[in-house]
Amino acid sequence: MNEHAKISDLLPFYSAGRLDEEIRREVEQHLAGCAGCRSDLALWLAVKSEVAQANRPLSAPPALPDLALQQIHHTRLGPGAAFRRACQLLFAQAMLVQREMWPACAATMAIGAIVALLSDRIEVISLVAPLVAASSLASLSGPDFDPALELALATPTSPWKVLLARLSIVSAYNLLLALAATLALLVIVPPGLLGTIILGWLAPMSFLSALALLLSLWIGYKYAIAIAYGLWLAQYVPYQSLGMWMVSPAWQPIIAAYQQFWRSPALLFLSSIVLFGMILWSANRPVSRLSQSTG
Amino acid sequence: MVLLEAHLSRVATSPDAESEQIQRIATGDENALRELYAACGQRLYAYALRITGDPAAAEEALQESLVAVWQGARSFRRQGRAISWLLGIVHHKALNTLRGRPLLPLDEEENEPPGELPPPDELAAASERRRLLHAGLRQLSAEHRAVLELVFYQGLSMEETAAVTGCPVGTVKSRLNAAKASLRGVLSRQGFNEEDLL
Repeated sequence: MNEHAKISDLLPFYSAGRLDEEIRREVEQHLAGCAGCRSDLALWLAVKSEVAQANRPLSAPPALPDLALQQIHHTRLGPGAAFRRACQLLFAQAMLVQREMWPACAATMAIGAIVALLSDRIEVISLVAPLVAASSLASLSGPDFDPALELALATPTSPWKVLLARLSIVSAYNLLLALAATLALLVIVPPGLLGTIILGWLAPMSFLSALALLLSLWIGYKYAIAIAYGLWLAQYVPYQSLGMWMVSPAWQPIIAAYQQFWRSPALLFLSSIVLFGMILWSANRPVSRLSQSTG
Repeated sequence: MVLLEAHLSRVATSPDAESEQIQRIATGDENALRELYAACGQRLYAYALRITGDPAAAEEALQESLVAVWQGARSFRRQGRAISWLLGIVHHKALNTLRGRPLLPLDEEENEPPGELPPPDELAAASERRRLLHAGLRQLSAEHRAVLELVFYQGLSMEETAAVTGCPVGTVKSRLNAAKASLRGVLSRQGFNEEDLL
């Protein structure tokens, strides 16, 4: 960069009085012999004058600090206000969840309970409850199901809070439905077995729900349902009686471990916690979620 | 000669009154926020108004900035002048406010900030220079107006201006040059040159 260009870059700061004495003198020496820079300086001095004139009558609105402090206090909530806001958020999000989901889940679970009672097979509840929960959670969020999603994402409430609120509501609803269906089994089972039955569906239900929701955020509702249902039903495939389609004996330990996974409540709960962490992380990435879900 | 480099390396590091106020804000002192606003609210408001061009938007941006100052006071590291840190927050909030609003109507006079234009009788007496410069400045983008405001009204150095606007020093220079070319174009179309401005 030559000297003229350097001085030219410094001229706005020279006219604003922001240069050190030594540099200022060098600029002035250059100005004495450069008509182009003198012309630029005239323009910058006029701009400085104009900017100062425009700002001279301005005064800052006096109420702003107090308004800002009010806003700050409003965001600092006590326990009571925080609880009220949480309730408001839950109610508002419950209104935004797909309306068809509520009766559809209840009807499916009712059918499961009736089949269990008629066939005298309590495991029907364990089969149906995770499927119902997975399908309802997979449709929890995303542009395919939520016309108010963009509005929700534009509000001060974080996307992960919105998702957590919906997750809580729908999971609680699914839990109540499954509990009601389990209680209906009291007609055919003694009360002492209820704990075992509940544990039989609760752990897989939490894992499959988390998996379906995470997949719906990443790759969309249809794929999420297909994969979640496929993984869940794969454990029931009678691999031993598939005849010519029977898988290689080398796969037997893997299949056994896979089936054991679905019968290990501790492992399922632990995996659910990991998946829920990933869900909340994914919820804060709305752009990728939108682009992928709409695809 | 390393004029430019010497100029760029000159960053004020001495603690100032605003820095002390920001440190008190970090401890939850509400009066410190009021004192800080009393000390530099006018400069911050002028900057927000220069970017937004709308008093309501400028107030909104400044209020959001004060909230951000309160929330971010702990992160202030005194690595430069406090005013640069504050103007950086206002810059960000003002541009955010602009993004959320529709474009200014074609009849810009309706959105003229109060006081920016003198009354008609004074305007008639004002020099042609002011009228032309005023028109030329209005034609610049928010980013270019911001740089001019920071240099000529806020009195920032080139490096401070770059820090506030969140862009490299080279971009500050190119914006100043672009503003100069634009203003020169406005003047020359009306048959003026820079010497007429003096």
